Amino acid sequence: MKNDILLPVGGLVVVGVLAMSSATYAEPRQNSLAADVAVRHRRLLVKNRLELAPLFESTINADFRHVIGGGLKLEYHFTDKLSFGVIGVGSTSLNTKLVDKIIPSLITQADKDAMTKAGMMIREPSQDEFKDRLNTMPLHGAAYLSITPWYGKLAAFSQAYVAFDFYFQAGVAFASLKSNCPSNICNDPSPGQSHPDPAGGPEPIAPDGNPNNDAPLNSGSRVGLYLGGGIHVFLNDFLALDMTVRDYAFTDNPSGADFNADLFVSDADNRFLHHLFFGVGISVMLPTTVRRTP
Amino acid sequence: MTSTALAQSKAKPAKPAKGAKPAAPAKSPTPAKADDAGEIEITPDDAKKDGAAPPASGDPADEIEMGDEKPGDLGADLNAADPNAAAVKVTPIKKTPLSWQDIVVVIRKPFLKLRRVELLPFVGTTMNDNMVRHYTVGGELAYYLTDVLAVGVEGMYYAHSFREPFDLVARQARRLPTVNEYNWSAALDFHYVPVYGKFAVLDHSLVTWEAFFTAGIGAGQSQVVPRDTKFPGFTNTLIMPNVGASMRFFLSKWLTVSLGIRDYVFFDHFEPKGRSDEMYSTASDAKAHADGSLINNVMFQIGIGFWLPASFDYTTFR
Repeated sequence: MKNDILLPVGGLVVVGVLAMSSATYAEPRQNSLAADVAVRHRRLLVKNRLELAPLFESTINADFRHVIGGGLKLEYHFTDKLSFGVIGVGSTSLNTKLVDKIIPSLITQADKDAMTKAGMMIREPSQDEFKDRLNTMPLHGAAYLSITPWYGKLAAFSQAYVAFDFYFQAGVAFASLKSNCPSNICNDPSPGQSHPDPAGGPEPIAPDGNPNNDAPLNSGSRVGLYLGGGIHVFLNDFLALDMTVRDYAFTDNPSGADFNADLFVSDADNRFLHHLFFGVGISVMLPTTVRRTP
Repeated sequence: MTSTALAQSKAKPAKPAKGAKPAAPAKSPTPAKADDAGEIEITPDDAKKDGAAPPASGDPADEIEMGDEKPGDLGADLNAADPNAAAVKVTPIKKTPLSWQDIVVVIRKPFLKLRRVELLPFVGTTMNDNMVRHYTVGGELAYYLTDVLAVGVEGMYYAHSFREPFDLVARQARRLPTVNEYNWSAALDFHYVPVYGKFAVLDHSLVTWEAFFTAGIGAGQSQVVPRDTKFPGFTNTLIMPNVGASMRFFLSKWLTVSLGIRDYVFFDHFEPKGRSDEMYSTASDAKAHADGSLINNVMFQIGIGFWLPASFDYTTFR
């Protein structure tokens, strides 16, 4: 009887010990390289360096006017992953293909004036009314924080071996917008509102219901959100090709026309719009010498 | 040299069998001879003499477990290619003459494409049309003739939505835009891969990638969106050459992610101006008097590539 109990108990103990020991044995031992950095003796191409980058920038898929310009990026890299920078770009504007197609299809201002005098109500804008209310962006820029989570090297045509990194930026955008509608075009004294009769009549004059002669209200300074992402391709220890896609998002009404269909132009026609740019520049890293990681 | 010497000193010194011939490296371009100038001969004794390595203890505790290599794991390949990782591999030491040509300074590619097929389902969107935005669902089947050159066929189905200026132009400028929508396209493509590289993510995991250029020729169909819906639209058959540049990120031996930009160039025909009940009212009449224009349809595409066979073997000396 005693043996009958001891046998299964002993068997269980043996199985338990074996199970424990096998579990211990199965516990994986860690590769000592597992917790190591991915790259040793890495050139610190950005850490504690000042980046100075003259650049060229152009809008991507603009609706009415392409914005093309040149500027400067100034960025200080606190670590090899974190940096702070500012960018400023001065630009000129070119009509898009859409604008070039619309303008010839519109009547001239002289024709419209003649038709209006003849008592006709013309709802479409004249060429000048359409063109003069489009705005431009002579100056824009941003202040931002940047992170560089990825870095590496590449081989091109099995000949050129260059280092690169990807970065992402977020910050505050600013822009100076400009529109120049002359007084003979934008001549509505009080868009969307009644106004006293200039001839001195007792009854106020009702709104004209014509947004084409209203001031465009799409000039001045704007502040908004900035997002960007790009790549440095290092040509040597202190020069890099810098390519970035940037989004300057702020309130704007690029056409300067009535957007919300209330038959007059007001600030309510401005809306939050994304202004996408592609930029390319040459970054100069200062100091020009680099250090290496252990 | 140092790392090799270290590696060998970690192992138990095992002398080669008497009279055994030195093993020549497989497929070495020049067979290594023991007395060749420029040869490197490493023996445990040499390492000891140089003091480059501590004596082998033979204690298993000094060994480093490299872990199980999972099939299809690119990270395992990268580790295996790391000279430091190789340094701790415990193998019996053989007296192996090496030549300078046998020393590899660049690790082998962790992903081979030679004679493999990539099946790439992808989605895409228009980048350069401010009136109508097209969305595509498509796929490509590519066969890699070499590791850098491939030929493939692709097909896409299009859907579209109108962008803000489409309504604005109609409402503000009183002009109805002339636009075409695209229905489908197909192409024969050639890919060339001149750039490959790797990058570290947050200083830890390594990801390998490559960049490739594409050129192709194909066909497609566009369809006129009538300005006045009472008139019928018509379709155009298009000859569509394309060029593009893309990046491919390797996730495993059979799985990749690709993203890129492709420019489809074609001559399209649009609804003629002045269409009315008296003029160009029928589809055939409108098509006969259609306005033509050269179009660059630039698209951003992103897809997941599945590779067959799912694995590969290296055929060259490491």
